[in-house]
Amino acid sequence: MKLAELHGRLATLLSLAALLAFVSGAGLDAPASLPVLALLLLAAVRPPAERLARRFEALWRILAVVLMVRAAYFVLFVPEDVVLPMVDLLLVLLAAEALRRHDVAGHARVYALSFALLLAAAAYRPSVLFAVAFVAYVVLATLTLTVGHLTRAGAGGTRVPRRYLAHWAASSGFVLLGALVVFAAFPRVSRGWVSRSAPPARSVVGFGDRVSLGEHGATLEPDPAVVLRVEFPDGAPGLPSSLYWRGRSYDRFDGIVWSRTPRAGIDRGPPVPPAGADPVRQTVYAAPLEVPVLFGLHPVLVMEARSRIRAFREPNGDWRYAGGAAPVYDVVSAGGPPDPERLRMATAASPPGGPAYVQLPPLSGRVRELADSLTAGAGTDYDRALAVQRWLRRDFAYTLELPATARQATLEYFLFERRAGHCEYFSTAMAVLLRAVGLPTRNVNGFLGGEWNTLGGYLLVDQNRAHSWVEVWFEGVGWVPFDPTPAGAGLAAGGSRGWFGPLRFVMDGLEHRWGKWVLDYDLERQLEVARRAGDAFSRAPRAPGSGAPPGPPPWLILGGLLAVAAGAVLLRALLGRRDPPGGPARAYVRLRRAYERAGYPAAERSPPLAFVGALRTLDAPGREAAERAVRRYAAARFGLAELDEAGRRALAADVAEARSALRRARARTTAR
Amino acid sequence: MAGLARLRRWLRPPRRLRILRPGWALILGTFGVGFATLNTGNNLLYLLLGTLLGVIGVSGWLSERAITGLEVHRRLPRAATAGEPARLVYTVRKRTGRLASAALELREAGHTGGAVVPFVAPGQEVTVRHLATWERRGIVRLEHLVVATAFPFGLFAKERDVQLPGTLVVWPRTDRAVAWPRAAAARGAATRPAPARMATAARGEFRGLRAYRPGDDPRDVHWPSTARAGEPMVREHDPEGGEGRWIVLDVDARPGERAEAALEVAAALAAGAARRGERFGLAAGTARLTPAAGQGQLERALDLLAAVRFRPGAGPPRPPARPERCLLVSVRGGPPGPWADHLGP
Repeated sequence: MKLAELHGRLATLLSLAALLAFVSGAGLDAPASLPVLALLLLAAVRPPAERLARRFEALWRILAVVLMVRAAYFVLFVPEDVVLPMVDLLLVLLAAEALRRHDVAGHARVYALSFALLLAAAAYRPSVLFAVAFVAYVVLATLTLTVGHLTRAGAGGTRVPRRYLAHWAASSGFVLLGALVVFAAFPRVSRGWVSRSAPPARSVVGFGDRVSLGEHGATLEPDPAVVLRVEFPDGAPGLPSSLYWRGRSYDRFDGIVWSRTPRAGIDRGPPVPPAGADPVRQTVYAAPLEVPVLFGLHPVLVMEARSRIRAFREPNGDWRYAGGAAPVYDVVSAGGPPDPERLRMATAASPPGGPAYVQLPPLSGRVRELADSLTAGAGTDYDRALAVQRWLRRDFAYTLELPATARQATLEYFLFERRAGHCEYFSTAMAVLLRAVGLPTRNVNGFLGGEWNTLGGYLLVDQNRAHSWVEVWFEGVGWVPFDPTPAGAGLAAGGSRGWFGPLRFVMDGLEHRWGKWVLDYDLERQLEVARRAGDAFSRAPRAPGSGAPPGPPPWLILGGLLAVAAGAVLLRALLGRRDPPGGPARAYVRLRRAYERAGYPAAERSPPLAFVGALRTLDAPGREAAERAVRRYAAARFGLAELDEAGRRALAADVAEARSALRRARARTTAR
Repeated sequence: MAGLARLRRWLRPPRRLRILRPGWALILGTFGVGFATLNTGNNLLYLLLGTLLGVIGVSGWLSERAITGLEVHRRLPRAATAGEPARLVYTVRKRTGRLASAALELREAGHTGGAVVPFVAPGQEVTVRHLATWERRGIVRLEHLVVATAFPFGLFAKERDVQLPGTLVVWPRTDRAVAWPRAAAARGAATRPAPARMATAARGEFRGLRAYRPGDDPRDVHWPSTARAGEPMVREHDPEGGEGRWIVLDVDARPGERAEAALEVAAALAAGAARRGERFGLAAGTARLTPAAGQGQLERALDLLAAVRFRPGAGPPRPPARPERCLLVSVRGGPPGPWADHLGP
């Protein structure tokens, strides 16, 4: 391929890589993303003829002017939505350039636009796909810039041997190395003097200021989006499924909606950990949620932000944060459940915050009667709570089906008629029943359990694990959690079952490492890398157990291998094409492979006519068609006759016929 | 002086780097991204900043690979004529390294344009040509060749000098419209204009044989003598009826446009005589070229004129033959001493 032609294709692929990087962050939110993606793919496969490109020129101009006006409108009048209109404009300009025959200025425009798209991607919080797109972009950019320069220097008509193109592409390894060194070593002293925009937050129901019980007429859909990834520096505490990731608490219930009384509770500082229990340390990597809540194992003793957020404790003991970064924070929680004997000794009177936690909505008498009957035999507050919890767990069913009508969405309908619901009904029921007998309670939302990612060594908590439970106040102990929802009900519906499970773990492990080591890389991580590098070069290895093992982390090795593999595939795709698609050599290779796969091991390096002879000797199915195809190929290959379009079609038809005969023969063999 | 030149050479940086427009754009872009990176603390921007710096680094490394390990030879023409393009031929061989060199420019020091080598693979030899023009006549000493490249990205132009000494004779222009003065012929020069093309038999009286010199008419080759001597021998004739005339250039003049114009007049006279097949000699300062005819004589005359140095105060030229057979080209106001009697006031 001549350099000028190669440059056109490379520039299109470069644009595709930039678009992929952008999509890894913003998804396909920009309306122009999909059409532009399709156009770029089209241009990469079949670059448009000059006449066609010229015809589209006017269309691009009109479109660009329209989008420019739209972007200007958004900049002037809708400043909060300015990114996507700008990106739309960028994408359309990029598509126009990809379909245009390039002059020198056109080259510069493609480079600048694709880099601008990469910059735009950095403004989001892209997934690990960005890494793949970034490596592809650097390899392609190195080669495109080189080939583009040679084209401009007057060598556009030159054919450069593939070996040297490969050398130039390989030099992108040094660019990547430079990028890696700057990335790893540049001191992260900046705290962002100009604060950047917050990463796009995920909308999760259940953590706002009001949580409604009355939704009806639908089914709760599973959502496998990951919300928390938790590392335990001192080892995981017990079974992952028993871990309650506490988020927000609600004290006021009006019969349908739970809400939070302003300044409910009096902050008495963090609870005192039970004697003899080791505290549990957690490092939480949370997805940015719409409501800035921090999650941790109950009861949280200390919470310290690692990323650029500020964590603070609300008077009722909930933890929230302020700041635009994705929350990464360390949590220290009191380990072990409270001692039951101690709880039996304690009373549930006078909670911090007074009457807010015993408030009740207007209830019918039978609810109070039910509460009394359930707790009649219990001698202590703790036993009363256990009795209600036991009753709900035993006699009720869990379902994701929401009630059919608004009337059926009430608590009383749940308690006396339906006797089935999701976790919020159970926790609400328990809270109300306990309040009816005078126990201070509150409804708590968070996540339950998680799946242990053995590849990444962390607990993965997805949105399917959103849960609701109850906390009861015990004087001298604090808020104690109770979970009335039947065990195992619907909560284990994680997305990691079946064949997709291990792959999901691998992908999520990569995603976690990407977030931890790239997106949230900070001064602390820098020091850790420096320490590891020091250990790797140190003659005296670090004593066992005194820190992380020396050497590069496994994810880096895996990432490097993936990058090399991707580069090799790309190079092969770019440079390894010796015969155009549909060319005689490809058809011939396809034919031979088909026979080899079908168990006709014609000698690998035998010449074409010997291959035909072998097929004849073995009386292989479809040998007549194969022979015709091989003769056509040989005539074209060795210059006896030029293969015109009709010849190509005939060759393709012969190959197809031979392969079809092989398939039929195989099907017959299998049937027998 | 030689030591000073050596010192100057030693002090000269081994590479010269020039930032091209795309390079400036990249540098500004790098500063921009760096500023944004520090301000936002966005980790991906650190990655992109590193990429831009990496591109600059790789550009430097690949350009260095491109201009090193090269063996360059230059083939100069026999001579060039001032103001006219002369064809220079360069042969480039990539001697060492595994990386190919591409987009090279080979430029004579002090010249703007150069030959372009699009691509040369390791072990490969590429020959390229370039038309260069020297505006002034003279003996041009070529010291080094500039090997330049903006490879691989067209961001920076890197140059290095390759010592490649050579000498090129730049002849003066011969296209000045000059007519052979009739007055001199009228004063007794016994020459008659010869026909432009003369048959061998009509070339005048046979004088003798001599070795072939470049520019001699191939029709004058004497084959029996050539066979005996083992080298080409040519016949020399005295054109009928004359010993030939002398063109005398007065070098007692201040170097400058007027002196060069006089020299070009002498060159044009010589070219005219050679065109007509006349015998002519040339005297300039102490240099003498005895009268002869033909293209070879013209080239020798132009060689001599290319090397002429005007020396004010050198004194008037002495006529190499009887003044009536000489044609004086001078920028003086009047005829110099020895010529006064013949040329009059």
